[in-house]
Parts: sequence; structure tokens; C-alpha cells
Amino acid sequence: MKTFIKINTLLIACMAFIATSCNQGGDSSNGALSSNIAEKVYVAPGERDEQYAFLSGGYSGNLTVYGLPSGRMFKEIPVFSQFPTSGYGYSEETKPMLNTSFGFIPWDDLHHPDISQTNGELDGRWIFANGNNTPRIARISLSTFETEEIIEVPNSAGNHSSSFITENTEYVVAGTRFSVPVPQRDMPIKEYKENFKGALTFIAVEPEHGHLDIKFQLLMPGFNYDLSHPGRGKSHGWFFFSTYNTEEANTLLEVNASQNDKDFIAAVNWKKIEEYVNNGGGKKMPAKYAHNVYDESTHTATSTMKDEVLTVDPSEVPGAIYFLPTPKSPHGCDVDPSGQYIIGAGKLSADITVHSFDKMLAAIDAGNFDGDAYGIPIIKYEDVVAGTVQSGGLGPLHTEFDGKGNAYTTFFISSEVVKWKLETWEVVDRQPTFYSVGHLMIPGGNSRKPHGKYLVAMNKITKDRYLPTGPEMEHSAQIYDISGEKMQLLYDFPTHGEPHYAAGCDADLLMNNSKKIYRIDENMHPYAIKSPSEAKVVREGKDVHIYMSTIRSHFTPDNIEGVKVGDKVYFHITNHEQDFDVPHGFSMIGQGTSEILVMPGQTKTSLWEPKRVGVWPFYCTDFCSALHQEMQGYIRVSPANSNIELSWSLDE
Amino acid sequence: MKNNFIFSIGLCLVATLMMMCTPQQSEQAEDTTAAVETHPQGQASVVDDVSDKNILQVAIGSEPHSTLVAAVQAAQIEHVLVNAGPLTVFAPVNDAFDALPEGTVENLLKPENKSQLATILTRHAAPGSYDVDGLKREATKGRKLYMATGDYLEVVVEGDKITVGGAEVVATVPASNGVIHVVSSVILPK
Amino acid sequence: MKNASILMIVGSALLLGLFVFPMWNIRLGAPQYPEPLGIDIHINGLQGESEFDIQNIDGLNHYIGMKVLPKPDEMWEFSVFPKVVLSMAAIGILIGALGLLGKISSVWFLAWFVIMGILGALGIYDFNLWLVDYGSDLDPNAILKLVNPDGTPMVYNPPLIGHKKLLNFDAFSYPRLGGIMLGIGMLFSLIAFFIGRKATLKAN
Repeated sequence: MKTFIKINTLLIACMAFIATSCNQGGDSSNGALSSNIAEKVYVAPGERDEQYAFLSGGYSGNLTVYGLPSGRMFKEIPVFSQFPTSGYGYSEETKPMLNTSFGFIPWDDLHHPDISQTNGELDGRWIFANGNNTPRIARISLSTFETEEIIEVPNSAGNHSSSFITENTEYVVAGTRFSVPVPQRDMPIKEYKENFKGALTFIAVEPEHGHLDIKFQLLMPGFNYDLSHPGRGKSHGWFFFSTYNTEEANTLLEVNASQNDKDFIAAVNWKKIEEYVNNGGGKKMPAKYAHNVYDESTHTATSTMKDEVLTVDPSEVPGAIYFLPTPKSPHGCDVDPSGQYIIGAGKLSADITVHSFDKMLAAIDAGNFDGDAYGIPIIKYEDVVAGTVQSGGLGPLHTEFDGKGNAYTTFFISSEVVKWKLETWEVVDRQPTFYSVGHLMIPGGNSRKPHGKYLVAMNKITKDRYLPTGPEMEHSAQIYDISGEKMQLLYDFPTHGEPHYAAGCDADLLMNNSKKIYRIDENMHPYAIKSPSEAKVVREGKDVHIYMSTIRSHFTPDNIEGVKVGDKVYFHITNHEQDFDVPHGFSMIGQGTSEILVMPGQTKTSLWEPKRVGVWPFYCTDFCSALHQEMQGYIRVSPANSNIELSWSLDE
Repeated sequence: MKNNFIFSIGLCLVATLMMMCTPQQSEQAEDTTAAVETHPQGQASVVDDVSDKNILQVAIGSEPHSTLVAAVQAAQIEHVLVNAGPLTVFAPVNDAFDALPEGTVENLLKPENKSQLATILTRHAAPGSYDVDGLKREATKGRKLYMATGDYLEVVVEGDKITVGGAEVVATVPASNGVIHVVSSVILPK
Repeated sequence: MKNASILMIVGSALLLGLFVFPMWNIRLGAPQYPEPLGIDIHINGLQGESEFDIQNIDGLNHYIGMKVLPKPDEMWEFSVFPKVVLSMAAIGILIGALGLLGKISSVWFLAWFVIMGILGALGIYDFNLWLVDYGSDLDPNAILKLVNPDGTPMVYNPPLIGHKKLLNFDAFSYPRLGGIMLGIGMLFSLIAFFIGRKATLKAN
């Protein structure tokens, strides 16, 4: 018996040895597998991504949050569009966010997100985004991932060369795409030339809370202002805007705005203009624009209509603005991490033009100009150009940087990303995109310190990349690994809406500041209740205010009588949960708005205008708990002339 | 007890066989470039028989343009011709290529001359959509046509005859992503 | 005897740690709570490990009919225990000081240890009674009424010490710094007794 045990032990030991040695074999083959592409984007269940990517939603009006390298979508943040998923733009608290001088505008075209910076590096406090159609700039908190502020931009139209920030987030800049009559007036379109103006708006960002205030508007010649980027490092204090349609055409721009051999990049010394304005410069002009601020403590937005804006005529601040000739309708206008190079991607050109900040300053000092446009000096092309990248591609659009001396430019027509070296201007690598890439994004790629491990190419055309879903498909994006000399295509993923641009950062910058709950004891909403015992229903004429609370898994109160046809019933719902990821929803039958989703500790208000007599149910829309399906209530609606008293109860 | 012993040995053998790590080997066999190779062709390879034909598809379907198509493929610029555009392409017929000095086409089709060939072909494409009226308007306004290579070509209208960069437009075919003007000669750099 | 007395004073003083640090901790983890919910048991009341843990534990417990966790004024222990501990610490320090002055022998240290041990045992017994009551005295109208395979109603008391599976939750119950200081303090008093006795024997 003893021997048997011994032998058996030996056998088991032998098996264990084999098992271990095999595991080692497995490990070493894992080593070989580390070059496997699938492994580079695989984020195992429960593991988390290395980086955040914020992709604009274009015509969805919203901002989407993705993880890199997995390409998984985490969230859609409503910004300029009503969003039934959370009730944004439907709840009484958030309706004012979408107020404008044109009234309530439930939609916009969100283009260019940009993360706030300190000393030229991403600080992860806010992300800014522009509404293109009804010109607006939004500020989104990166602790709550909610839109906190929207300011309308007057005298602007097609707010496209926006919403880029200076390197200490002093300003968020909004440049107009369309030039328009300033102020707006009834005039023949044909008289565009010399009459229309292009407003470049500098919106001051208050350092502590990020509140926005238009500092000044620069009324530039009537070109189209396409994209812009701030100077950084040595060029801090300057801002660069690409222009097209320097022909000042007002029709068939496809042809008529493509005539000039060179358009301009406008170099704006904003520090100089700021000083001019601080010393009383500029002209106040009547202008109507909305300023909407969401207050986290009251969970409520307020909209204020402003009536005046400070404008600056470029001719009154000599030496503050120069034009840098740049071939063929430049789109991207990108500044490298050192602040020395300004890259203009002429979208009808085959080459990329790189201007030198130092050469620009030297040319200005020498005062040797190639004439002027509307009084703004034009620096000679030869005097400012540092080099051109003979790319061999067609349709360059946008450039970002990896912080290792390389630049990456998208080419729309030839559908590729081209990697090239700063200073030698030589092309190092090129990779196809699928298909027709617009913008690209390297996390931090638009700052002094890019976090350059991945590159996301955002394509305009999807065609056959995914299973077909009818004539319209989500746009496609590709992730490339750019840590090596050659770019490596890792992964395709569909995006939502139309991403025009994106911003990204390391996960560490945001994940630890992300809010889990709102504190109920800090809830300053005027209709909040701090305890279910405070629940009540109050009639003020036709308005009925229901102070309601939620906790797993019931509403307090859940039986309400005395509501009449023709009343306006406001459900003020306070979620008493103080537990991460336990929102409660609310929806009422026949309600002309969306449901609302109330975060822990938050109060939100939903309006219902009962039109029919009866007993009508409401329920929680979020699967909050095991007894979610029990989380419901009734409201009795009596005829308008009924004399039933208001009453409410829970479990009586 | 003896049975137990034999059973143990058997177990050990089974275990040894199982530990031969076959799954890892098969994973290793998958090449690292798999993700790219699954769809290496780019947009030109999209299969679509329903949509209006794009410039490349029109050219491929046109017998008199077989030399042009061969050249486009040799230069690997097919994707440009299927791009959303809009593009205006001046497409020389086979006779136009034949009219070039002997050996020119054969020489250009060699792989080492790929970029030279691409430049020559790209000079036949203009960003934007110019139909016949569009070309005439350019001529009337005295504007030259900006080509994708950065060259400017002169548009001349004499009666019904239109020439672009010296090449006569003999036919015009609309395509989904632009316009094809069939031209009688190859547009060479001045 | 000097060393023994100092050890006795230090040991008794360690009891005061209970007024600063929690004595015991119960932690509840589940897949949907990657950051577990925790209760720190202080000598004078319960506190959530994170701010809203108590509220969230009560919220979950109401489904199975458990009472809400007691506030300090709802349990006599939270007012009596501090007094007992404070008194024992004072007495311990006093006898340590008297020992230092040579007024009393180290037997007093042992006496203190024994009394402290009895009180501690009573405390643990009381704590266990409460745990059992808390976990088994359930609301008859509870939303979820679960029974064991043998048909008896399921109880939810967390373990006195160690780990226990409660439905989908893993409950862990362990002493925290205050409790550990108490244990070390008591150990010190015992060591003090032995050192003191050895010294006395040697001197004689």
C-alpha cells in the first residue's frame, strides 16, 4: 500500500512537471503572440482601456466617448441635441441649455472637441465643442460628463474653425465659416464682396469654473474660415486660422472658391488684441445671443440673453494680424508640439505646406510684405514657408503629431494616412484608410505633449466594411498603432453620427475624477426633497407640483388624486439613492416629452399635461433593481370642473 | 490496486498528450498581418452592381480605354477614381496612347516607373465636377483648369470643339463621382 | 519590575486606540459592488467605510426584511462600552504607575488581564448575539423570503470572524486597528505580569 502511494505521488509529480513545463511553453508562445494584432486591441472582460477618445457626433449634435484601443463606445454625451435617453433638452431643468436668440433649437452639428489645457498639456477638466449650424460653443465637464455651459456666438454663421483653446485655456476660439453681413441686414447677395465680414470670436474661459464670456470679436475680411489652432510654447499668444474662398465668391464655391493659387492662413496675435481691448479698445455693437449655464448644485440650467458684443476692426490694431499664403484652400491648420511649425493642408493640393513661426516673426520684423488684403499685411510665401511635404497623396486634410518628431496627415482623395518627419519633410510611411478619411486623432496630438501610442482615423465612407444596414451606415474609424516606425492597422470600429474631429487623453487623467453620485445633502434644487417624508403635492392655479422621491424600488408618493384635465403637472423627482450607477427613470403615459433619467442625489422635472379623464400609470424606466417592475404608480385625472381635493399617499 | 496503478499511468500519458500545446501552435500559425490582409484592396474592390457607375467602373467597361485602365492599375491609383470626388477625368483613348512614341507606354508600365506614370495620369484629373458647360464657362471666364498635380491646363473653345491642355474632348460620359471627358490625345507636360 | 510596569502602562494606554480607530469591520462584496460595502464598528457607533455604505446596505437589506443598522442611541453598548474601556484603561495605567512606584506586585497586572479578558469575552458574546439577531429577526412582510433547503428560513448574520457567503454577497468580518490595539494591549499586560513576576522572583 505504501509503495502504491509513493508511486502514485511520483506520477502526480510527473504530471505536475509536465503541466508546468507546458505552461512555460504557453508563456513563450504568448511572447511570440505579442505581435499579434488581435491582442493589441483586446481588452479582456473586466479590464479597462488605456485611453479615452471623444469623437464628435457631427449631425447627431452630441459627443461620443470611446475607449482605446478597444474601440468600445462608453457613452453618448448630449450637447446640442435633445436626448431622450437621459431627458436632456426635455426636462424642465435642461430645456434652457438649448435656448438661442432664434428660440429653442433642439439640434446642432457638433464638429471639433478640444480638451482643456494647462501649460500646453491636457488637464482633463473640460472638453469644449462647437455647434456649427446655429453658432454655439459648449463646455462639458469631464467629472460628470455632462454639458455645463453653452454660449451662442453672434455675427457668425457655420461656426466651423472652432472650438479650439489656447494653451492655458485662456480662450476658446470660434471662427465663422460663412462670412455674413455684420450686423445682419437686408441686402443683395451679390454685394458680398467687401461687405460681408468673417467674425473670429475669442471667448474667455474663467479659470476656476470655466464660465464662458465673449471677450472680443475680430471682424475679418469676408473669407471662409475653416479650421484653427493655437500657438503653443514659443508661439503661445498667437492663433492660426486657415481660410478658403479668398476669392469672396458667393455662388458655386466648388469652382469659384478654387481659383486662387493660394489662400491664407491668418496669424492672429491675440495677446496684442487682448491688450488693446483691456485698454478700452474695440467697439461695442448690439448683438443678441444666449448664454446658458447649468448649475450642478441646483441641477438646473438658466438661460440669459445678452445684448452686446465687443468688436475689433483689424485695421485698428496694426501688427496684430498677418496673412500667410498657403496653397489651394487649406483645411487643416495645425501647430506642432514645439509651436514652431504651422501646417496648412491645401485640400486641392498634393503637397502639405509647412510655415515657420520664427521665419514669420523675422519677415514681420523685416517689414517686407507682398501687399495686403483689406489692410492686413501678406507675408511673402518664400519668407514664411519652412518646407513642403511632397506626399504623393491627394487631398490632404488634417495633421496631428506624436511628440517624437513625426506628423501624420490624412488624405481624403487617396484614402490614406501619411507619416512624415518634421524638419526633413520626408515621407516615412503611408497606410490606406477605409475609406476617404477626414480627420485623425492622436490623444494629446494637439498639445505640447502628445500621448502618441494610437492614431484614430475617422472615415467619411463606410461602403462594405461592415454588414450592410441599408443605404445609410455608421461611419467607420480605424485604429493604428503608431508606436513603431511603421504604422500598423489594428482595428475597424463604427462610430456614431459623423465624427469630424476628436480629442483623446490617457485614462488616468479622467477616471479618478469621474463623479459617482451627486450628494443629496448638497442638492440645492428648489423642488428637491431631502427625505421621503417631505413628499407632497402642491397646486398653484393650474400648475400642480409633485415633490416626489425615488429609492429602490418605489416612488413616494405613488398614488395621487385631485389632478384635473387641463392642469400642468410638474413631477419634481429626487433620486434618494447615494449609490454609484443606480439612477431611476420616470415616464408618464401620453406625455409629450421624453422620459427622464435621474442620477443618484439629483432632482429632475418632467412636465405632463393630462388631456383625458382616467387613472393613468407612471413607472421607472431604468432597470434599477430586482423589483424594478414593481416601481410604478397611478395618478387619477378628474374632469376640469371636478372638486376632488389633492391627495397623495404611499402604502396607506 | 494494480488497476489503480495502471489507471494512474494511463492518466499521466493522457495528460502528457494533452500538454502538447496544440492550441498555442495553431494561434502562432495565424499571421500578424491578418487584419490587413482580410481586405487589402481598398475602395476599388467594393462590390456594388446597383449604384451608378463611378469613373473607374465606366472606364473598365469601355473597350477603347483598355490602355488607360491598364495604366491606372499599374500606377495603383484606382482608389482615387472611385473616391467620393467629385473629379473630372480626361480619359485618353487607346489610339491616343498608341500615338505616343514607340515604347513609351511599355516603358511607363514597368513597375519602376510607377510614380512617373501616376503623375502623368493624375495630370488628367481635376478636382471638381466640370461638365461640358462647366468647361465652356471656364474658357469664357478665362480661367485655367487646376489639375490634381497642381498644374493648370488651358481650356479652349472653338465653335463646338473643346480642347483641354491641347487634347480634344470627343465625348463626355457622366459618372457617379464626377465626369469623364474622352480625349483624343494624352496630355503631356509642356 | 520597572520594565513590566512601563509595559503595563503602554498596554493599557493602547486601549485608548479604540476611541480613534474602528474595532471591527464587516465588508460585503458582490459582482455589482466591485468596491465592497463596508461597516466599521467603532466603540461608540457604526460608520460606513465609504460615506454612503450604511445607507446602501440598509437599502439592500430591506429586500430581505432586515432591520436598518442601529444608530448609536439605539444600542446601549455604544454608550456603555466607551465607559468600560476608558475605566479599564485608567485602572490599568494606575496599577502600572503603582507598580512603577513599587507599591503593588505584578499579580495586579494579571488580575487586570483576567478582568479585561472576561469583559472582552462578554463583549464578543454580546456582539455575536446582536449579529444573530440582526441577521435572523426578519420582517415577516419582507419582499424576499428565502428558505434553506431544509425549509428553515434563511438567516443573514455575517460571521463573527472570517468569511461567509450570504446569497450573492461575500461577507468578511475582521478586527481593525482599534481591535488589534486592544489585543496587543492585553498581551502586553500578560507579558508585564510574567516579566514582573520573574523580576520579583530574581530579587527574592
